Amino acid sequence: MIDEVSQLSQELAREPGSLVFLRLGEALRRRGQLDVALRVSLRGLERHADNSDAHDLIARIYADLGEFDRALQSWDAVLRLAPRHLGARKGKGFVLFKQGRWSDAESELLAVAEQGGGDPSISAALAVVRQHASEVPLGDVNPQVQQDAVPRPLFADALGEGEMTALLIDSEGLVMAGTYPTVGGGDVSQVIGAELRGVSDEVQRALRHLALGSWTCISFETDAATVAMAPAGDGGLVLLAADTALPQGLVRRVLELCAVEARTWLERTVSRAGT
Amino acid sequence: MSSPYVAPLAAVSRHRGIIGAMVVDAQDDIIVDATVRHGIKASTVAALGASIYRKARQSAGAAGLGDTAFLRMEAEHGHIFAAGRGGLVLIALAESSVNVGIVRLEMIRAAEGLA
Repeated sequence: MIDEVSQLSQELAREPGSLVFLRLGEALRRRGQLDVALRVSLRGLERHADNSDAHDLIARIYADLGEFDRALQSWDAVLRLAPRHLGARKGKGFVLFKQGRWSDAESELLAVAEQGGGDPSISAALAVVRQHASEVPLGDVNPQVQQDAVPRPLFADALGEGEMTALLIDSEGLVMAGTYPTVGGGDVSQVIGAELRGVSDEVQRALRHLALGSWTCISFETDAATVAMAPAGDGGLVLLAADTALPQGLVRRVLELCAVEARTWLERTVSRAGT
Repeated sequence: MSSPYVAPLAAVSRHRGIIGAMVVDAQDDIIVDATVRHGIKASTVAALGASIYRKARQSAGAAGLGDTAFLRMEAEHGHIFAAGRGGLVLIALAESSVNVGIVRLEMIRAAEGLA
């Protein structure tokens, strides 16, 4: 059985001037072969300098590599070629958020919200960004959203007093709620969110090919914790990390409770954004 | 020439509900050795299992959680399991009815034989 990358590589070798490099670059990116994906995409861009999708692909690869400034430059190139490119605006919002440029992130996400209409992950991300943006007077943010966007309270009831923590991560890897405190007092939730970017969509795509239906849970055991994830709608996911001493059945039940809390919060946030 | 992975693959495959098992290169998702039922899209299972296992390891590393021993992906109509060692990942595809507890133990044990 020939795999997708091999097949696309052969196609590109036969027709080096074609747009197959976009699919090949994307397939390599999804596999995590970012350096190869970047080489293929840059080579393709040499022949198709005015192709906005090529710039967008390169931007996403740079973002995955953590080269945020280059990602922003590539998305700016996309927007020069295609000013209403939704993916580029979302990508810029994601990177600006990562860089702590709250006001700029808000502008991009607002543009996406106006164009995209009703994307719950964008509405929720906007609520979080607005919390951080010192330029925004407190009165401009819906008080209920403010309260809900304070991380811990969203999952407080589900988590109880146990040795657990939970995150709500959207399809772009943005943390919408929750914290992941470290022993040293830091918070690695943003890093974890970035590492798990796109997992939900990737799994769903692959499972469709395997006729396994929708995914319901991904769990993994590490030296220090049991981590479990469940879909939270619209490509997002809820992540729960628990002490390894806790029974896995309990972890699973708490995860389900957190997922319900997250979906309810997202629906409420979207309905408020629409009013 | 006999593959060095026959034993771990056989140990996992013998359990009721296991549809396929494979040893996959953790970096490029290429299948090193496999035992799968006819009709199974082994390369898709390998790519998905290895990719998610890699992301799990990376996120665990970012959180300072140490090494990732075992991963389970549950879907409406089946499971994918993964356990890694060194640069290899042992991946299994299973029906919903599989005994997860037993397969988990077998996967962790079999993965030790990959090194």
